[in-house]
Formats: sequence, C-alpha cells, structure tokens
Amino acid sequence: MVNALMDLLIDSFLSALLLIWSMNPELLMIVQVSLKVSATSTIIASVVGVPAGFLIAFGTFRGKRLVITVLNTLLAMPTVVIGLLVYAFISRKGIFGAFDLLYTQKAIIIGQVILIIPIITIFTIAAINRIDDRYRKTALTLGANVFQTALVIVREARFGIVASIIVAFGRVIAEVGISMMLGGNAKGFTRTITTAMALEYDKGEFALSVALGIVLLILSFGMNVFFNYFQGKARV
Amino acid sequence: MLYELKNLKKTYGQRTVLDLERLRFEKNKVIGLLGPNGAGKTTLLEIMAFLTRPSAGDIRFEKELIDYTNGKLIDLRRKVVLIQQHPILFTTTVFENVEYPLKIRKIHKAKRKKIIKELLELVGMEIFEQASAHKLSGGETHRVAIAQALACFPEVILMDEPTASVDVENQINIERIIQKINLEKSISVIFTTHNMIQASRLADETVFLFEGKVAQSIYENIFSGHIEVDSKGYKYCVLHSGLKLRVSSQKSGLIRISIDPNVVKLNQNGSSSSMYNCFKGTLIQLTDEQSKVRALVDVGIPISVLISKEVFKSLHLNLGEKVWLNCPKESIDVF
Repeated sequence: MVNALMDLLIDSFLSALLLIWSMNPELLMIVQVSLKVSATSTIIASVVGVPAGFLIAFGTFRGKRLVITVLNTLLAMPTVVIGLLVYAFISRKGIFGAFDLLYTQKAIIIGQVILIIPIITIFTIAAINRIDDRYRKTALTLGANVFQTALVIVREARFGIVASIIVAFGRVIAEVGISMMLGGNAKGFTRTITTAMALEYDKGEFALSVALGIVLLILSFGMNVFFNYFQGKARV
Repeated sequence: MLYELKNLKKTYGQRTVLDLERLRFEKNKVIGLLGPNGAGKTTLLEIMAFLTRPSAGDIRFEKELIDYTNGKLIDLRRKVVLIQQHPILFTTTVFENVEYPLKIRKIHKAKRKKIIKELLELVGMEIFEQASAHKLSGGETHRVAIAQALACFPEVILMDEPTASVDVENQINIERIIQKINLEKSISVIFTTHNMIQASRLADETVFLFEGKVAQSIYENIFSGHIEVDSKGYKYCVLHSGLKLRVSSQKSGLIRISIDPNVVKLNQNGSSSSMYNCFKGTLIQLTDEQSKVRALVDVGIPISVLISKEVFKSLHLNLGEKVWLNCPKESIDVF
C-alpha cells in the first residue's frame, strides 16, 4: 500500500517534470491566466493600498484606530467569504449583474483586489511607522514640500512596501476560493493554477496538478530571490 | 535682527518645555545656546527651523511676523536649515544626499555637480562622494549633513549639539567648519551645546537656557529649589538635594538660583569672613582655563569655582581633598 503510494507520487513527479520541460500548452495557458489575473489585481490593490496606508499612517483623524482594527480583521477574511460577497453583487440578480462580470477574469480580479488591499495597506502602515521621524524633519528642513517629503518617506520605506506587494501577490496567486467561485474554472479563460490543481486532483490526474504545484513554488521562490536581490543591492 | 521671540511658549500636555519672555538673535553671528539636558534647546531650534509650531507667542524672522496659517512656511524653511543632533542621511550615496536640496530647488545638473564637489571638499568628505551614506561613521555623517545643509544656501544654520556624538578629531573639524561658514559665507549659526568651553570658543554670544527659560548672565551652577523663611526672617533657598543657602530675594515658592563661580571662595580650613553658606565638600575636578583654574567641588551637588592661578598655587590643592566653599549672598542670583 505504502509502496504503491510512493510509486504514484514518484510517477506523478516525473510526469510533472516532463510536462514542464516540454512546455505543455495547457500548463502554459493556465500559468499565463494565473499570472495575468494575479499581477493585475496586485497592481490595482497596490495603487489603492500603498497611498491608503500612507494616508492612514500619517493622518490624524477620528476613528484611525478603528480603521486599523477593521483592516487587521480583514486580513483574516476567508477567500470564500469574499467570493460569496462579490458573487452577491455581480450575479445576474445582483446590483452589478448587468455588467455580466460573473465567471470572467474581471470577477476574479475584483475579488482578489478586495482580498489583498487590507494586506498592502496594513503592511504599508507598518513599513511607514517604522521609518525614523528624522527623515521627515530632514526633508522638510532641506526645503521639501509636503509631497516631496512624502516621497522621501515612501522611498525610505520601499523595502517594507515592496515586501507587502510581494506578500499580496503570493496570497492571490495561491488562493483558490475566489478564483473558483467567481471565475468558474473555465478552461483557457478563468482556469488558474490553483483551480486547475483542484480539478486535476478531483479527476485523479496528479501529473498536471503536481506540475502546477512546482510552477507555483518556483514563482514564489523567484519572487523572493528578486526581492532579496533588490534589498541587498540597495543596501550596498 | 534675525530672530525676535516674544512670550514664546511650547507645551506638551501639562508640561511646559519652553517659556521665553523675550529673546533676540542678531544676523551673521555664531550664537551658542547653552543648557543642561531638558532645558528646551532642541525644541527652541525646531521652532526656529519652522518645523514645530509654538503653543503661544510670536516669532519674527527678519522682522516678519510668522503666520503659521498662510502656508508660507516652505519659503521660510528654505532660508533656515536645521542639522539634528544625530543627523540621518537618506539610504543612498553621499553625492545624492548632498544633491537632494539642489534637486528640489531645480538647479541644473552640471551646476549641481560643481556645487556638490565644492561642498564635499569644504567638509573634507570628497573621497566619500560615491560611498553609501549609511556606512559612514557618526562624525562623517555629521560632516555630510553640514554639506547637505549648505547645499540649501541658507541664511541660517541651526545645529543641535554638533559635536556631542563625534570623536575628538571630528569635533575639531566640525568646529573649524562652523567658523569657516560663518566667516566666509556670512551664514548665521545658532548651535546648542552643554559644553561651556566650546560655547566660549566658538560663539560670539551665548544664551543660557534652564528648564525652558533664559537664565540671565551667569550660566553656571544653576539649581532649582524653594524659598523658606526662618524664625528671624532670613530667607533660605532649599535645593532639591537638601542644601540650604541663605539668599536675599523678594521671591517666594519655587525658584532657581545661579551661583557665580568667580565670587565663591574656596579654602582648606573652613575659615571664612561669612558665618553662613559655608559647605564642606570634596574636590573632584580641576581644569586649566586660560588665566584661571576651575575647581569642581562636590558638596552634595557639584559646584564650580573659578580661582586665580596665584591662589591655586598657594593652596596646593589635591583631588579628593576635603575643602570648604563659601558662597556669599552676592554670589547668588535668584530668578
């Protein structure tokens, strides 16, 4: 029994390597969709989350603590809950039903953006709060205006901000609930790495599933290597 | 007149850190702000750098009353630059750090390069031009911060403890730079220090701050206490350390006193013309100061005394020796 399981794993692993090596078109298509959707949602969430984080970190307004608490709570929001919530809005009977978004890449992007905005915002707040206040004073006394001072602070917090974006990308490329519920796992269109893995597992086809798992790990490893290289280079 | 401060106050919650009735600084001078830790020196510099808003009072800069509501602070900040006690440089090269103020002033690239080269030469940091700013030592960072400040072409440079955290070699370099920028570039320099010798060496004028207020004339031996009156009607100042000094003052309650080190008498046998304000203590420090010798005597609190070299020779003083101090009433200023 154990031997049979090991054989299955080894066979699947070898077949997976072959699929990757031969640049299997189906595998490539799935990876491409995943990268496109995840990159788009990460960019959109960054455009919103980084300035939001900056404004919250520097702003003095009523309810600031509450906003941070809510954002922290949203970090733990399950993907299926977001899937369900967005579904309620974009399904045919929903408020945005007329836009025909359900089971499209746009629907996945909407869900993923909601998922990672809190991540990017909270990590940006943390990154900016860690920045020494002397940077702000130095920029101001050197004659910088408010915008230029903000840029100095963002630049000094860049490692933390880039780290937040990488964490967010890692979260969306590995999530399955939103992609499945809002994308519908349509082949060649909304089938992402994780939804394809779930499907192949259900079918008992482990080779493609393992191949996609390997690609996912390589992507994650690549992102971290890039980040460490960027961080190391900037500190030389 | 460069700065004119009137009834200036800065409070943090219930705590008043600065309470200045009137203070004026003239142009093109080197001014030393002396005072112990917590005297309000840094707060005053930040207010004069237009980085902190006072809680009350008026500031005039070059006769113009500062209005914190009209959004023109950036124009003022471009005339005044503050170098913090522990300056921080941006995480880039030395060159780019000095370039920053020039860039935001939209100075042409070729001109920027020339200015940066000159300024780094002035502070003796030209060989570090392409070095990573965060790898510099404390003294080197301070020198780059001075170059960065000079790149603003300011009218005033405010320096918070410019030599407090640097080694002796860098201290000498920084003092030399301060004198040079004042003389050659006609930039007014206002610096804080708690080193009296440094202040007298560098500054054209010194202002002493104590607990947020300007202490008049004598800026040594300053202590806080309260007034007590004995059964005969004599007034005493009881210091926090418990030391009791007879004073003549109309004030009551909490007060501050300064004891003039030139007037205090030091002897070895307790003989004194005065019956009061005589304290026995231990001689803990002797410093040569041009025509005089400064003796620091621990009488429960350290009191500084200046004695002539002739008296010093005749006394044959030794460190650790028990000596007597006599503080006549005229040596004590109550404020």
